Amino acid sequence: MGIVIAVISGKGGVGKTTATANLGLGIALNDKKCVLVDFDIGQRNLDMILGLENRVVYDMVQVMDGEASVKQALIKSKVNENLFFLAASQTKDKSVLDSEKVQKLVTELKEEFDFVILDAPAGIESGYEHTIEFADAAIVVVNPEVSSIRDADRAIGILDSKSHKVKNGEEVAKYLIINRIVADMVQSGEMLKSEDILEILSIKLLGKVPEDKGVIDASNQGKPVILDKKSIAGQAYGRIAARLCGQKIEMKDVEISDSGLFKRLAGIFK
Amino acid sequence: MFGFFKKKQSASVAKDRLTIAIMSDRDRINAYPFMDEMKAEIIKVVTKYIGVKAVEIKKEVDGDFEALSIDVELDKRK
Repeated sequence: MGIVIAVISGKGGVGKTTATANLGLGIALNDKKCVLVDFDIGQRNLDMILGLENRVVYDMVQVMDGEASVKQALIKSKVNENLFFLAASQTKDKSVLDSEKVQKLVTELKEEFDFVILDAPAGIESGYEHTIEFADAAIVVVNPEVSSIRDADRAIGILDSKSHKVKNGEEVAKYLIINRIVADMVQSGEMLKSEDILEILSIKLLGKVPEDKGVIDASNQGKPVILDKKSIAGQAYGRIAARLCGQKIEMKDVEISDSGLFKRLAGIFK
Repeated sequence: MFGFFKKKQSASVAKDRLTIAIMSDRDRINAYPFMDEMKAEIIKVVTKYIGVKAVEIKKEVDGDFEALSIDVELDKRK
């Protein structure tokens, strides 16, 4: 029986879908069976990041409505045989989701996979609520920036009141990924430190991801950045995925830049 | 040079502003986890006597003073 993790954020554009794709592939690289489900109905995106947009035949709404089986709709990753993907519907809107159907789908996937990762829509309307409803844990993605953090707090509030687990008196585990950290700005006091963000949101840290131009390059190609061994964001996702798979990986302080001495040294040999 | 000493670092400004904004958000939105339940019960009780269209509960905080304001919108047809 697998674990269901919802990847959430308050506002859009913080890198939630990128995080979902990279964590999924990272988990698969750790030899665990993983399925990614795009819950952002009406705004299909995860397929592009994974480079699987041409392989979508059936979407998750069709599976929920019984028009296709899970087996028919699952798309296998091109790069790893442990990773599968279930696309969002593009034609319907978020109102098509209902609790019973979501629960049935999630339960079925849980039996087959070690990790079921749900990419939640941004915002806090009904589509979001259905994504978190049957999750065992949630990963909150924020940028070190005020609006993203404030909106994340609202999303966490809804998680704490609407999740099935919470309603049954249990606790839903919550972890934070801080994405797009610019070390130099943190050092000069122009960007919030991760410890401040954790204090404000009172949440545990799962990982820090530095700003990295390689992320856009990777999404251009439909190859998650974790495959790029040289990318600092890719390395960060690798560490986070390993943590999710139960490995003890210490927190690398991406808030201190490697530039300075290293870059100057590298410059000499160029 | 003087500007350097005067200017507060923007990250700490962000922290202060966020702390206050989030505290008031939490008060307003998730005042109590039982809000929905309470709303449903109020509707039930009031409908015994008169038609109800909607109930809205707001927590209002003014310094040390805290109050719940409950608005019951009546359904004229009933």
